[in-house]
Parts: sequence; C-alpha cells; structure tokens
Amino acid sequence: MTTTVAQAPAPAAPPARARRRARFARFSGPLGVRIGLAIVAAYLLVAVLSWFWTPYDPLALAVGDPYGAPSAAHWLGTDRLGADVLSRLMAATRVNLVVMLFAVATGLAVGTALGTLAGYFGGVTDTVIMRILEVFQAFPTLLLAMLVVQAVGPGTVNLILIMAFVGMPPYLRLVRAEVMSRRSWQFAEAARMVGARPMRVAFGHLLPNSIGPVLAYIAVNAAWVSLLTAALGFLGLGLPPGTPEWGSMVARGQDAIMTGQWWVSFFPGLAIVGIAGACYLLGDGLADFLDPRRSS
Amino acid sequence: MVLTVLLLRHALAKSLWALPVAFGVVTVTFFVSRVFAGDPTNLYVPVDADESVRQAIRERLGLNDPLVVQFGHFLAGLLHGSLGESFSTGRDVTVDLWDRMPASLELGLLGLVLAVALGVPGGVIAAVHGERVPDFLVRGVSLAGLALPQFWLGLILVWLFAVQLGWLPGPQGQLPTGMAPPPRITGMILLDSALTGNWATWWAGAQQLVLPVVTLGFTTAAPLARITRTAMVEALGSEYVRTAVAMGHHGWVIPFKYALRNALLPIVTTLGGTVGFVFSGVILLESIFAWPGMGQYALQAIQMSDFTGLQGFVIYAAILHVIAYVVVDVLYLFIDPRTRS
Repeated sequence: MTTTVAQAPAPAAPPARARRRARFARFSGPLGVRIGLAIVAAYLLVAVLSWFWTPYDPLALAVGDPYGAPSAAHWLGTDRLGADVLSRLMAATRVNLVVMLFAVATGLAVGTALGTLAGYFGGVTDTVIMRILEVFQAFPTLLLAMLVVQAVGPGTVNLILIMAFVGMPPYLRLVRAEVMSRRSWQFAEAARMVGARPMRVAFGHLLPNSIGPVLAYIAVNAAWVSLLTAALGFLGLGLPPGTPEWGSMVARGQDAIMTGQWWVSFFPGLAIVGIAGACYLLGDGLADFLDPRRSS
Repeated sequence: MVLTVLLLRHALAKSLWALPVAFGVVTVTFFVSRVFAGDPTNLYVPVDADESVRQAIRERLGLNDPLVVQFGHFLAGLLHGSLGESFSTGRDVTVDLWDRMPASLELGLLGLVLAVALGVPGGVIAAVHGERVPDFLVRGVSLAGLALPQFWLGLILVWLFAVQLGWLPGPQGQLPTGMAPPPRITGMILLDSALTGNWATWWAGAQQLVLPVVTLGFTTAAPLARITRTAMVEALGSEYVRTAVAMGHHGWVIPFKYALRNALLPIVTTLGGTVGFVFSGVILLESIFAWPGMGQYALQAIQMSDFTGLQGFVIYAAILHVIAYVVVDVLYLFIDPRTRS
C-alpha cells in the first residue's frame, strides 16, 4: 500500500531564517508600543513646554506676513492672519491633549459604572440603560456631537463632556458583557455569602475582574476622541473661535490649499495623524499583552 | 422555501426590534433641536425686523404651540411621509433630501466598493503572510488609514493632485463649474450620463469623483483590513484548514475558499456598521469637495438652525443605519448556517 500524502508539510524553515523571523515577530509587538509611547511622551512634552514658551504668542496675529512660507523666523510658516503656525501648533497640542485625556477619563468612569450596573443587576436596569444606548448609537457620531455642541455652546468643559458622552458606549458594552458573564462565578458568590452588599460585589469584586478588555480599548478611544475633536474644530464647533486647536487650524488653511500655501493645513493635520497613530499602536500592543492568544 | 420563510420571519422580528429605536431617535432629535437651536425666524427676516413680524412667522410655523403639540403635529406629518417644511429652503424636507440623495449615494457606493476591494484582500494577504513583509505593509497602511482624518487627507490629496500635479480637477462638486448635468434619471452623474450616451459629461464627472472616492475608500478600508486580518488569522489556524491542507488543497484556494468564508461574519458586521453612515452622506468629505449631497445639507441645517432640515436628515440617517443592521443580521443566515436554528 503506497499512499503518498498529497502534500508533505512544508519543510521547517532554515534555522537562521526562523530565528530571524522569530526575533522580528517578538520585536514588532513591543516595538509598536515603544514607538507609541515615545510619540505620546513627545506630545506631552510639547504640551507642557507650550505653557512656558512658544516662539511667538500663539494668539497674536500679524507676527509675520500673511501666508509666509516656512523660514528661519517662522519654522512652519504663518497663516492667513499672519500668526505663527508653530506657536499655534504647540498651544493646540496642549488644548487637544487636555480634551483627549479628560474626555477619555470621564467616558471610562461613566461607561464602566453604567456597564457594571447593567451587567450585574440585569432586568429593568439593564433594559433601560441598553435601550437608551441603542437610540444614541443610531445617530451618526459626528452629527450627534455637532447637535449637542450646538445646543450647549462652545467651551473646553462642554467639549470634554460631549466627547465623553459619545465615546462612552463601547466601555459600557464591554464591561456589561464581562460582568454579566461573571456575576454567578464562585468569587462573586463567595463575596455575597460573606455578606457583601450588591454594590460592593458589583464594583469591588466583579468590576476589577472585568476591566481587561476595557483597558485595551482606552487607547483606541483616545485616538477616536482626538480625531472627532479635530473634526468638530474643522467645522468651527466645539471651542471658542480663535482657540488654537488642530482641526480649526486645518480649516484656517483650507482656502490656501488651492493657491499652494500647503503649510497652514499640513502641519496641524500631521499632528492629528501622529497622536491618533500612536494611540492605535499602543492599543494594539495592549490588546496583544492582555490577550496572549491574539499575538500567537 | 424553508429558508425564505426563515429569512422573512427573521427580518420581521429584527424590524420590530428596530421600531422603538427609530422612535427614540425621532424623539431625541425633535426635542434636542427644538429646545436648544437658535431662532429660525432669522432665516425669514433681517436681524433688525420687528418683533411682531417674528411673532407672525412663529405663529405660521406653529412654533408658538406647546412642544408636545408640535411633536404631535410632527409625528402626524411623519406618518404621512412628510418631514415638514425646511426653514432655509422653504420646501418639504423630503423633497430636499430626495434631491441630494443621489450625490451622496454615488460617492458612498463607489467609496464602499473601493474600501472592500482594498480592505478584504489586504487583510487576507496580511494574514496569509503573517509576521512577514506583506503583513507589516498592510498593517502599516491600515494604521495610517485609521489615524488619518478624512478632511485632512482630502485636502492634502487636492493639494497634491489638483494644485501641484494638475492631474485632476479641484473640489468643485460633481461636475466642473459651468457644465450642465445630464438629464436626471437616477440623479447619479455617472449613471445618467452613461444612460443618455453623454460621454464627455461622464468623463468629467468621473474625474471629479476620483479624489473624494479615494479619500472615503482608503479611510473605510483600514478598519476592514484589520478586522479581516484578525478573523483570517484565526480561521487559518483552525482544524478545518489543517484538514484541507492535509487533503492536498494548496495555493489561494485555502485562504479564499475555506478560511474567508468562515471569517466573513466579523467582516460583514464591520461593513454593516459603516454602510448606513456612508450612504447618509459623509459630512466632512462633502464639505471639503463641495459635494452637493445630504452631508452638506445637514451641515448647513445645523449652521442655520434649520431644525426641520436637520431632524429630517437625522431620521433618514438613523433609518439607514437600522436597515443596515437588519440586513447584516439576515446576511448572517446566509453566511453561517449555524445561525439558522
């Protein structure tokens, strides 16, 4: 009987190549995280620095000629109103990072709290929370943000709350699913048996055990918040007019694109891509770290 | 036959679930825009107009009634297929939206086709060549696609291809300034000009479409490529793929015939989540490219506190979104027989 296996398993890769590939694979995970962390650190540094020093006053107009090309005096050029692009970019980094950090923190806190409640108590609590959530999720996100921003008016605090509000649903859903699947596990039963009240079981025992997927989502949410903030800024919504903000800076250069003054829009946009990309890198790294199966 | 019955029942059940959501969206939109929006009488009269004139307008528009009564009128109109009169155009909002729908649909449809054409094969290739050059390439490009703001990418493409290189026209909407649109059949420029044999218009329209479609397609392809890659990595590591290899299948049959079918569920889900939003008009993209679609209509409505126009758009978008969800759910039945039980 001479049955031949139709296709032999691929011969093992030569050791040198295999080793190189393994090293590359091991490298790529942490490398992404390292690049992401380095970029975020650089942004934070610029944000702090802008508090003390910028080349020119970011709010001052006509510190140079209108639409001056990048030069020794104005490294990233000047915009339509003669304001220094680099100074505004530095100040905007501070503004955008503040919105991003506080919006993520608020969304995380509210989302996990509501998700824990919905997941642990189920029944009416769950139904009410989830139906309301579904209604808001049926809106296009940008439109919902525009609607609310138009309603409550511009301002940093308002913007943070709106970003937290529209960014909260995934946190809620993730935590709810985790808590729901664990609420009758033994450690939760044990906590109930020793007399812990429902709130304590939910928030003291179940929430900490359900937080893993949420942590991986934080970075993604941060990227998303910076993109949405910039989108609103581009439309002239969110912050008072004239506030240095990446999106509104891009908008200020929109007309100049057609006449060739690319630098007014280009650099603020690059800043958005940088922070959003860094956040996604961190998110991927965190997800691999928290779920070893993913990085197999 | 059995499948048809099953499909119908499933679609019906899902639609019933969708009804309260749709009603919720309508209610929230109505009250948020009424309570907070500015004074729409500014759209009818100059800023220094007399208060009595404004009162007369409010009376005519029914804005003096209690909110609950206004809501009742609005719901009654909705049941008759009317979204109310737009404060900025003076026409019924359904007519306005109907006018603008084809522009958004044409852009959205082509953008989605490009996104699927780029994203799905990209994800498959990345998964097949895991942790090697093609994989890193796809992951790098899709990371960029996620991080790029649509409005900025659009502007940079305009600068590069229209201003610097001069290969493509600038952002002037669907057709170059001064060119007459083809006779309206579907409202989509490419389709109508092809149907009427108007090839010069077709070519001009196609050129106008390139940059917005590429911007939309590329940014929409990124999440698709990522989800495809993840699902494919899992499918390729499964036992049925190992069996297929052992049985002698090789080459691209394995990933595309065996693995992709099993990886389709998350891909379709992701796609379904974007379809509704893409078809209802991408607000920022339309504003960059002066595209006369529904996204621009919504933006203008917000800026002019034309809340009937705005709520009409939101309702339309939400309904599309809900329909996309129902369709995805029904598609599950086709893709994965296990969900039919």
